[in-house]
Amino acid sequence: MADDAYGVGIGWRPEISGFVAGLPGLRFAEVVAESVHAHGDLPEGLPQLLDRGVTVVPHGVRLSLGGAEPVEPERVTHLAAVAERLGAPLVSEHIAFVRAAGVEAGHLLPIPRSREAIDAVVANVARTRRELSVPIALEPIAALFDWPDNELSEADFLTEILDRTDALLLLDVANVYANARNRGEDPLELLGKLPLDRVAYVHVAGGAEHQGLYHDTHTDAVPRAVLDLVAELCARHRPPALMLERDGDYPPAGELRAELDAIAAASGYPAIT
Amino acid sequence: MTGDARGGDHPGQPGGAPESLATRQARLVDALTSGQPVPDGFDLRKVDAARVALLRKRAGEVARQWPMLAASFGERWKPSFAAWAAARPTQGSLRDGWDLARDLLSRDALPATAGEELAEREARWSYDGASAPRPRRGPAVRSAAGAVVLQIAGRVRVIRRAA
Repeated sequence: MADDAYGVGIGWRPEISGFVAGLPGLRFAEVVAESVHAHGDLPEGLPQLLDRGVTVVPHGVRLSLGGAEPVEPERVTHLAAVAERLGAPLVSEHIAFVRAAGVEAGHLLPIPRSREAIDAVVANVARTRRELSVPIALEPIAALFDWPDNELSEADFLTEILDRTDALLLLDVANVYANARNRGEDPLELLGKLPLDRVAYVHVAGGAEHQGLYHDTHTDAVPRAVLDLVAELCARHRPPALMLERDGDYPPAGELRAELDAIAAASGYPAIT
Repeated sequence: MTGDARGGDHPGQPGGAPESLATRQARLVDALTSGQPVPDGFDLRKVDAARVALLRKRAGEVARQWPMLAASFGERWKPSFAAWAAARPTQGSLRDGWDLARDLLSRDALPATAGEELAEREARWSYDGASAPRPRRGPAVRSAAGAVVLQIAGRVRVIRRAA
């Protein structure tokens, strides 16, 4: 993001457009890139945010940067066009794959932490950046399972990808929490090894445990442990922006406001509500 | 799916060439979306948890596109959709719901409350079951589960509601 801090933001979704429009202190939001037409009308509510000077970052979910196959050129063109339309200072996508051999998985899937997979990501990010006029931030995902043939630690894997792609990091604190919990690891250990100075912005989201596994659902409340991790991250190196990601089962406005206030309190940024 | 990208019939056999990342990713997607076996070495319980979570996520997305279809199942929507979709990779939530509704209709199992929703889409769009639906150019009358819908110049009118 830019030099100055944006503070607390939110993932814009059509279902909560009115709520987002009513946040007086909002300075940045994220929109799912695939939900925005490259040339047609913007989704209702977004133009008003842009007119207010809110920075809106397109967040891609379907590029499949971690796929062994090359990214589809029309998807890259779309992402670049949306970034220009929104006047976004950057775009973001995931270190994940979403399809293989023409079959859609329907969700972000992990890739092996191997040299071969790193090469695939690096090549796809390079193909994407050739069309983009702004930087890209890469988000490590929450995964319920790991590949059996991991060669590298998660920190080494991510650091090598960032070094070789020259990308920024979109750090999802809830993903860090979910992965550590499901692997029986300490989330602080990963935080301590990541290049926190490359964090462009941060996702914060809720989840729930089902049958012994923590699911990063984005449809449940943000757990206290995730907010504690936000506080710990900000004590070490406060990122310029943090945002709430909610993707369904939207609670009453009061609860959403309380979650935004909790992120503000944990990060030390002003409340935007 | 068949083809070279999937490698031979004996994946990972001793002495065989290591499978490419493309092949291994395709096998994993098949396990998650088409009821194929989980590739060797993965934690079966965790991959299955991901498979089930993925189906429930799809059910939620289809419910947003097809609210009446989902509502007609009540509490049984997510498990019912998951059972239907377990070996059908997603074609996007619009087509997934459409395929399910047609499938139910063909078995006389489409609830009346979902008939009007299907008839309205059938009247408005042309969908061949294999590629993205396209707006109809001419007028059309379509019926499903007792509902009859007329479309003229893009406007739809319900001629008869389902009983």
